[in-house]
Amino acid sequence: MSFFGFGQTADIEIVFDDADKRKVAEVKTDDGKKEKLLLYYDGETVSGKVNVTLRKPGSKLEHQGIKVELIGQIELFYDRGNHHEFISLVKELARPGDLLQHTSYPFEFANVEKPYEVYTGSNVRLRYFLRATIVRRLTDITKEVDIAVHTLCSYPDVLNSIKMEVGIEDCLHIEFEYNKSKYHLKDVIVGKIYFLLVRIKIKHMEISIIKRETTGSGPNTFTENETVAKYEIMDGAPVRGESIPIRVFLAGYDLTPTMRDINNKFSVRYYLNLVLMDTEDRRYFKQQEVILWRKSDKSRLPLHPHHPQTVSYQGHQSLRKQSVSSDDNSARATPSNPDPENVMQRSVSPSMPEKQNGPLQMEREKPEAFIDKLAGAHINENDTNDTSDEIEEPKPVEKLPVVEKPLIAEKPQIAEKPTLNRPEPAGSPSQ
Amino acid sequence: MAGIGHPFLYVWSTAQMTNQVSPVEEQEKLLEEALNIVKVQAFQMKRCLDKSKLMDALKHASTMLGELRTSLLSPKSYYELYMAITDELRHLELYLLEEFQKGRKVADLYELVQYAGNIVPRLYLLITVGLVYIKTNTNLRRDLLKDLVEMCRGVQHPLRGLFLRNYLLQCTRNVLPDTHEAPNENEGTVRDAVDFVLMNFAEMNKLWVRMQHQGHSRDKERRERERSELRILVGTNLVRLSQLESVTVEDYRRMVLPGILEQVVSCRDAIAQEYLMECIIQVFPDEFHLANLQPFLKSCAELQPGVNIKNIIIALIERLASYSQRNEGNMNLSVVLEDGQEQEVQLFEVFSDQVAAITQSRVDMPQEDMLSLQLALLKLAQRCHPDKLNYVDRVLAHTDKICADIHQSSGQSTLEHHTPVFKELMKIIKLPCDHYKNILVLIKLSNYAPLIRHLSYQGRVMIAVHLINDVLETNTAISTPQDVEAVLGLLDVLVKDQPDQPPSESDVEDFVEEQGLLARLIHHFKSDSADQQYLITSTARKILQGGGARRIQHTFPPLVFHAYRLAFVYKDLKDQDEMWEKKCQKIFQFCHQTITMLVKAELAELPLRLYLQGALAISEIGFANHETIAYEFLSQAFSLYEDEISDSKAQLAAITLIIATFEQINCFGAENAEPMRTQCALAASKLLKKPDQSRAVALCSHLFWKGTRDGRPVWALNDASRALDCLKKAARVAQQCMDGGVQAQLLAELLGRYALLRERGNQSLTPSLIDAIIQKIREELANLDQSEEVEQITKHFHNTLQHLKNRIESPDPESLGYEGLTLS
Repeated sequence: MSFFGFGQTADIEIVFDDADKRKVAEVKTDDGKKEKLLLYYDGETVSGKVNVTLRKPGSKLEHQGIKVELIGQIELFYDRGNHHEFISLVKELARPGDLLQHTSYPFEFANVEKPYEVYTGSNVRLRYFLRATIVRRLTDITKEVDIAVHTLCSYPDVLNSIKMEVGIEDCLHIEFEYNKSKYHLKDVIVGKIYFLLVRIKIKHMEISIIKRETTGSGPNTFTENETVAKYEIMDGAPVRGESIPIRVFLAGYDLTPTMRDINNKFSVRYYLNLVLMDTEDRRYFKQQEVILWRKSDKSRLPLHPHHPQTVSYQGHQSLRKQSVSSDDNSARATPSNPDPENVMQRSVSPSMPEKQNGPLQMEREKPEAFIDKLAGAHINENDTNDTSDEIEEPKPVEKLPVVEKPLIAEKPQIAEKPTLNRPEPAGSPSQ
Repeated sequence: MAGIGHPFLYVWSTAQMTNQVSPVEEQEKLLEEALNIVKVQAFQMKRCLDKSKLMDALKHASTMLGELRTSLLSPKSYYELYMAITDELRHLELYLLEEFQKGRKVADLYELVQYAGNIVPRLYLLITVGLVYIKTNTNLRRDLLKDLVEMCRGVQHPLRGLFLRNYLLQCTRNVLPDTHEAPNENEGTVRDAVDFVLMNFAEMNKLWVRMQHQGHSRDKERRERERSELRILVGTNLVRLSQLESVTVEDYRRMVLPGILEQVVSCRDAIAQEYLMECIIQVFPDEFHLANLQPFLKSCAELQPGVNIKNIIIALIERLASYSQRNEGNMNLSVVLEDGQEQEVQLFEVFSDQVAAITQSRVDMPQEDMLSLQLALLKLAQRCHPDKLNYVDRVLAHTDKICADIHQSSGQSTLEHHTPVFKELMKIIKLPCDHYKNILVLIKLSNYAPLIRHLSYQGRVMIAVHLINDVLETNTAISTPQDVEAVLGLLDVLVKDQPDQPPSESDVEDFVEEQGLLARLIHHFKSDSADQQYLITSTARKILQGGGARRIQHTFPPLVFHAYRLAFVYKDLKDQDEMWEKKCQKIFQFCHQTITMLVKAELAELPLRLYLQGALAISEIGFANHETIAYEFLSQAFSLYEDEISDSKAQLAAITLIIATFEQINCFGAENAEPMRTQCALAASKLLKKPDQSRAVALCSHLFWKGTRDGRPVWALNDASRALDCLKKAARVAQQCMDGGVQAQLLAELLGRYALLRERGNQSLTPSLIDAIIQKIREELANLDQSEEVEQITKHFHNTLQHLKNRIESPDPESLGYEGLTLS
């Protein structure tokens, strides 16, 4: 009926309770843009009102019922028509009847379980949204509003560092150490590389963060690699015995928590890729998975953004402890700040404005832009073949291009040898 | 062809181009391009700062700093670029400082700059921001310093790393903690400052050393040059350490020096070691060195074989020596030990031991360097321990040993001229001489003379000349026989023939000059005590007589004159010394022997003159038996004349001397005088040439007539007529000369002699005789053609006439006049 311009129709508006107070989060939409959505956590109640506004006041709207749904779904881009809903909650707001005036229906989804975090990747999207529907005989009137959901983890019980000796026999032996195997999103990777043997002319060394998104299963598995960050940690050629510090702040990069087998549909994993480049532009690398997790920043809420400096500077001190792993932790337990979580937080990002707080969002913009500019400033200029989706990956030996050499793994493996040794394609002059 | 659109084509064409430009031009071009980018980015950065757009400004700063990532520039060009960029960074620093001080802190700036993807720009920004943090909140100081110096490890490229760390060092130069007790432990103490700089130093040094081992070996020279251009960057660390005012001697000993030395020794790079060791010596205070000699010198022994240790140790010695000299009077060489006790540093002992250890352990050390070290030790001993001559002697003994080793390895017994070892040894030998300016000190050094013997012949001569000149300059008197013996021992090369002397008489002039010097030295063999003087003189002769004819003709005359002078001294002492006559006799005996030796050496004129001089002295002194001895001397002279002198000119000269001597001697009685004057007259008349004969015979007139001038009594043996005979004979002989000019000349001379003897009271020479001569001369002159010679004779003649005229007009009452002589 509305097709013909007559008959009653209505607009639906979904208003959330505490929308003005609630934090917002930036979420990428499937067209690549970012939008700000209200942020909910697992178990939080989603409540609000559905306002129905009649276009033609005075005339009635006939309907078969009004409902609001909370839906969590996974969309695989190669399978657009098929959405996998892992949550679908419905609230009836009105029984079938006639609507005579603007009406507001409160709703509440109490303590909703939201097991996954919103995610927009290259092949998959996980979203939560509310859908209000006025059911009608021919066409329903619907309104969808996305919300953001972040999954929080608690502080991991065991903080293992990653320590590994890798190398190419008689050519390069290094030992690297990352202070943890699990990092939260605002964390800082502290570590060092110790050179045990250097017989190649190294030009520089960088750490890149690779995001690997796997979708589907079985033969229909799609894997997408993306270099999220590239960070030069060494310039020039070290000699034996040199140890190079690593410190990478994660807060500036576009990262999500590690997701494993989300609803049997997809996974997102992160790898730290340590890449050494020699003077002939051969690359030697070692990938190491790290778990990223989202940490509650609720403990920050009581703190004013511009907190007295002393506190924030204390954070700087512990941040500067270069030693990784265990004594790093002990150093953080500064007596003046007994709350371990808080200290941890500061150590990572001493006086960082709260990114997820709505009012501070604008202030953040500049630094973020700056980070992008700085991070991208030069590092790529030498790697002509380097586009963001192209990363080195250990391939079967016979296919490996001469310029790429994976560093083979831990010491134990060196003993059993020699399959992963330096690849020597036929006719390669690399020896 | 599609043009240069294709990337490879483009690369190819630039390669072609670069082949044509020189490296210098290329460097200039690259630098200019980089500087242009810096200019643009710096301008943008400042504009953003003006508009308070800090993030954009940082972005431009980062782009600007990206220029420092280049590998194309030479160290020199890189330095220029670095200077330009750090200059611009100052604007950023000042802006941030101002903002921070106004309380407008930028949250997380220290973290934000670390997002820069490239490490070089990132670390420059980090340092700049870190500095601002430190300046605005000293509580951060200790930890930030630690963090910065640690993070800089990420740059392992030598050139870029060196400059980055230099930037760190420059930025932190005024903010290093420099107290022992920090009000707050986070501000850090001087200990943290030392750790910071030492760490930076160690890393910079490693980078610097690494430059040596990168690149092609054919570029070694260029690399070394470039390295030496950069060394100041490394050395600045040490300067910074030395500028920490609260570092005490104790701190230096415990924290600073061990840290530096450990790095220096372990880097095992000769260039670095040499430079850094000298750096240490130059930048730290003397007191610090004094208290830490042992560890420093021990490290020296551990340096690489290629290191020129000599220079290092010499530099240290020089420094300490001048320090102790500066503090002369209140020389404080003591250091406070750990237990609080003061102990004087035995500078010399320490150095001597360590140098010995070093020379022993470093077998590859060039021999000249070993000698240079001894030279330095010698300086040290002389300047710091002026009272301890045995130190000097110890050095000399050690030097002697080294020289012996050198001989052994070279198979030669002396050091060749102009070799490096020779030069060093020369310096060692000259040093005490120039230092003490007293040869008497030198002879107390028992190892001094042996050392000279290690030199080649020429070297020994040079030293001898040097030593003698020194004595002459300082007018040192050598006053005991032992000293004389020792001094002549030093001068052995001049005293007698040397086995390694050049066979032929290479340079007679030089030889004569050297012997002349030796003769001058002999005049300094003098004592105030007469007896001592005798011993000195005879000792000297004993030694010098070994020198052979060539030498004694130079060295004996001064001895003989010493002896004559001594005889006069005894004469003056005759009231105090009863034995004086005996002693005089002995002296003249000694002289006689000495002169006889000269005669035996086939010399004639010299002994003749010495005899005559002796005769004169004897007659003056007049001791017992002196007439006989004087006669002996004179007769010896005469027989020399007869036997040895054959040249007519020499004969004339000799006979003239003999006659003159005889005229001066008054001691002879008739018995001795008669044969003497007869012999002389006879000899005179036997001269070959007529003019010589004439002159000699004329002179003989003096043998027979002596005046009474100077209060002498009338000589008993005066014989007026024989004097006249002589003159007459002379005139006769003169007239036999063929040449009229010569005749006139001889006659003119004769006229003078007539006048002289007449004025001395010989009445036989009457005015008429004189007038006859005058007439004769006039006659002769008239016959002569004008010539220069004739003019001279005429002038001589007229002068004599004038004299006569004067005497006639105003006669001398004490002598005979010229009554009756008329001069027209």
